[in-house]
Amino acid sequence: MLKQDLTVRNPLRLIGDGSEELLQAGSFGAVLARAGVGKTALTVQIALNSLLRESNVLHISLNDPVNKVTLWYKEVFRHLAEQYNVGQVKQLWDNLLPHRLIMTFAASGFSVATLEERIEDLSAQEIFTPQMVIIDGLPFDDGTHTNLAELKSLAQKRHLHIWFTVTTHRHETPGADGLPPQLAGLDEKFDIILQLQPEGSQIHINALKHAGMEAPPKSLLLDPSTLLIKKESDN
Amino acid sequence: MKYQIEKVRNIGISAHIDSGKTTLTERILFYTDRIHAIHDVKGKDGVGATMDSMELEKERGITIASAATYCEWGGHEINIIDTPGHVDFTIEVERSLRVLDGAILVLCSVGGVQSQSITVDQQMKRYKVPCVAFINKCDRSGANPDRVIAQLNEKLGHSAVAMQLPIGLEAAFEGVIDLVTMQAIYFDGDNGENVRCEPIPAELQALADEKREALIDTATLFSDELMEAVLEEQEISSDMLLAALRQGTLTRQITPVFIGSAYKNKGVQPLLDAVNALLPCPTDVENVALDLDKAEAPVTLSSKAEDPIVALAFKLEDGQYGQLTYIRVYQGVLKRGDTLLNVRTGKKVKIGRLVRMHANQMEEIDAIQTGFIGALFGVDCASGDTFTDPNLNLAMTSMFVPEPVISLAIMPQDNKAEINMAKALNRFTKEDPTFRTYVSDETGDTIISGMGELHLEVYLERMRREYKAEVSTGMPRVAYRETITRRAEFNYTHKKQTGGSGQYGRVAGFMEPVADEEFVFINKITGGAIPTQYIPACEKGFRACMAKGPKMEFPVTGIQVEINDGAAHSVDSSEMAFQAAARGAFREAYHKARPVIHEPIMKVVVETPTEFQGAVMGSLNQRRGMIVGTQDEGVMCAVEAQVPLAEMFGYSTVLRSLTQGKAQFTMEFNTYRQVPQSVAEELVKKAQEEKKSVA
Repeated sequence: MLKQDLTVRNPLRLIGDGSEELLQAGSFGAVLARAGVGKTALTVQIALNSLLRESNVLHISLNDPVNKVTLWYKEVFRHLAEQYNVGQVKQLWDNLLPHRLIMTFAASGFSVATLEERIEDLSAQEIFTPQMVIIDGLPFDDGTHTNLAELKSLAQKRHLHIWFTVTTHRHETPGADGLPPQLAGLDEKFDIILQLQPEGSQIHINALKHAGMEAPPKSLLLDPSTLLIKKESDN
Repeated sequence: MKYQIEKVRNIGISAHIDSGKTTLTERILFYTDRIHAIHDVKGKDGVGATMDSMELEKERGITIASAATYCEWGGHEINIIDTPGHVDFTIEVERSLRVLDGAILVLCSVGGVQSQSITVDQQMKRYKVPCVAFINKCDRSGANPDRVIAQLNEKLGHSAVAMQLPIGLEAAFEGVIDLVTMQAIYFDGDNGENVRCEPIPAELQALADEKREALIDTATLFSDELMEAVLEEQEISSDMLLAALRQGTLTRQITPVFIGSAYKNKGVQPLLDAVNALLPCPTDVENVALDLDKAEAPVTLSSKAEDPIVALAFKLEDGQYGQLTYIRVYQGVLKRGDTLLNVRTGKKVKIGRLVRMHANQMEEIDAIQTGFIGALFGVDCASGDTFTDPNLNLAMTSMFVPEPVISLAIMPQDNKAEINMAKALNRFTKEDPTFRTYVSDETGDTIISGMGELHLEVYLERMRREYKAEVSTGMPRVAYRETITRRAEFNYTHKKQTGGSGQYGRVAGFMEPVADEEFVFINKITGGAIPTQYIPACEKGFRACMAKGPKMEFPVTGIQVEINDGAAHSVDSSEMAFQAAARGAFREAYHKARPVIHEPIMKVVVETPTEFQGAVMGSLNQRRGMIVGTQDEGVMCAVEAQVPLAEMFGYSTVLRSLTQGKAQFTMEFNTYRQVPQSVAEELVKKAQEEKKSVA
């Protein structure tokens, strides 16, 4: 039971095909939303999904300290375990932890070169070799293009995939393809783009781009109280 | 002096060894008329400075190991709080940092920012203490304040701004230029007590203008008014500039830097002015207490005199007249004759004598005002106790006291040491609830236990230094525990019929693991299979087995026992028989329940310059540590890991050599986790060897 139960019952499978990671090595995914809607919660769930498959996840936060990121994981995991009635929670949690590493940088202090150096050092010392990286809070501005190109080559070189969070703003009008101006001209770099869209009391998860897989049903929601993914039919 | 809370300063003086903390403190006390002569630390007159380290004080028979000294300057009341010399993270350090609102960071103009300055600075950062820096010893050869300011920025990540310029340096150091008032300040008289202000020397005018410009530029970030004045090219008044700088200082966004030479009596008075002008008063700082009625939810204290009183006893001292308790009042006014509640013990105490400590004398006072520090006589309490109005239930520190995770046997070397050791232990256990002591039943040794190796080392050192108790120590022992991992049934009959009255009892049921509880006993006996009067005996029998596990003789935790059947004999059953039956049942089921050993896992946070991050992570990984995360903060970074306590012995030495002494770490208990199989086998082997050698 335990791990398998959570992976099988995790509604994340509805985004992918349920048997493997959502992204292939070397590819990018993005979670878009306005501030405070639940980008971090969703990425943490994506991370937990990988952790449960014993993939190593490097979570990089450019806004929050390590403690706060840890708290996100604890909370989301607790809700997840409660929702699916998982027993021996502590043991399961203890098993997941060695697969996760959190790095935080002040946004101004983050550079791809530093990240690459850190990852190489961690791998060389056999401390941690990430298979998935989450970059939470990377500003999508003028310098992004270069950063993304460098990150892409890093991802390919080290066989890992990267999820980004992108903050959108209420006053911005999306382009013809439905993508916010931050991602204009960058969309070909991403294989999956998920958008969190609050509508009334619900938060919808829309897939703006989903290369290489079946179109996901448009019926996924983020539960506003637990910030867990759920099917619309569960409502 | 009329009490005004905005004119109160509670400050600490933090410094690297040899950067002149003692001399500076002494000069402060001299200029504020608390002492009437100056003695050098290593002076020829053999008296020594007034506020000095313990040994010196005792040797020379002068006062003051005082935890807080009161003085007055420029219409302000200043309490100087002694910040402990040792840099470890004991409760004592935490408490002294808690009661101060601001600090002076003393640096040597020659040595600059050294590794211990980094440690001291990290502590202040952790407790968000605003500070001003004082670059001392500008008269020494090799003095270079500019370099120290650059180091403050590079090594400590401060945003340091020069408030003064030196007039001459090294042997030619004459005085300072104040960049706020744009005056040259000289210090005349035998002890520099006469401050003389003059126009800025012509050759320094251009440099002074340039530096003032930079100062104003920095200050504009914190004041719109100043910004406007600058844009409109108005005259910038000293008050306006100081107000903006104060804003930056209070939020720890800038560190104003002052210079001087305490030994040569230069630059101390302007520093005192700066304490008044730039450091916070008690109302500038948010103080938080924990509401014990609401699961320790944080409550912000008001700092108002009319509110019910909340005060923290932060230091105890043995004086001629009994125990002196230093206390800081956070809210309300503490008056002689008041009845207060000691939140920890739940007892009410009546306040008798109240005093205020001056450098070498004490003054009787009637009340300790809000935000102020004073001392009480004749109140029995431990340090860290919160005193409140009897209607409140607030605590300044968490009431949760973790169980010790490491222990050490100590042996006094002679009779005198034994007596002193007992005194010391009595004091330390009062000061620090996480430090405990007991006498081992098996060996008769005195055992001390606490929260980590360093924690115990600090107390051993204090025992030697302050109590002259020479003790030798055994090897530190980790507090392992045992627990079970699955359900197991028991059905045990205790039967003895060898002459005299027989013994008979049978208990049946099962045991299973339980989270977050030490021991749970459930009685599901129906139909009187075990008579009710014997049920407590069964529980007692099971509970007795928890102290020493059958696997490795470690304490057992996390077990739920349920009894659901049994049998008794009308003549031979007794409480003793059922206790024995329960013990037998425990042993029977325990081995079937897959017992495992748990070890304490510590949360270790290493703060290190970024260039050593890789080496630090490697060192933690080697110790079976799991890296939780890394936090980059510019020049410094913090590595957080979970590491078994058993692997952390001697880590401070390793870390020092890995990082040229520039990193420091804190360690606190996190959780208990199962020991890996290979390590468990090691432990079993070791225990067997020990048993053999005892036999």
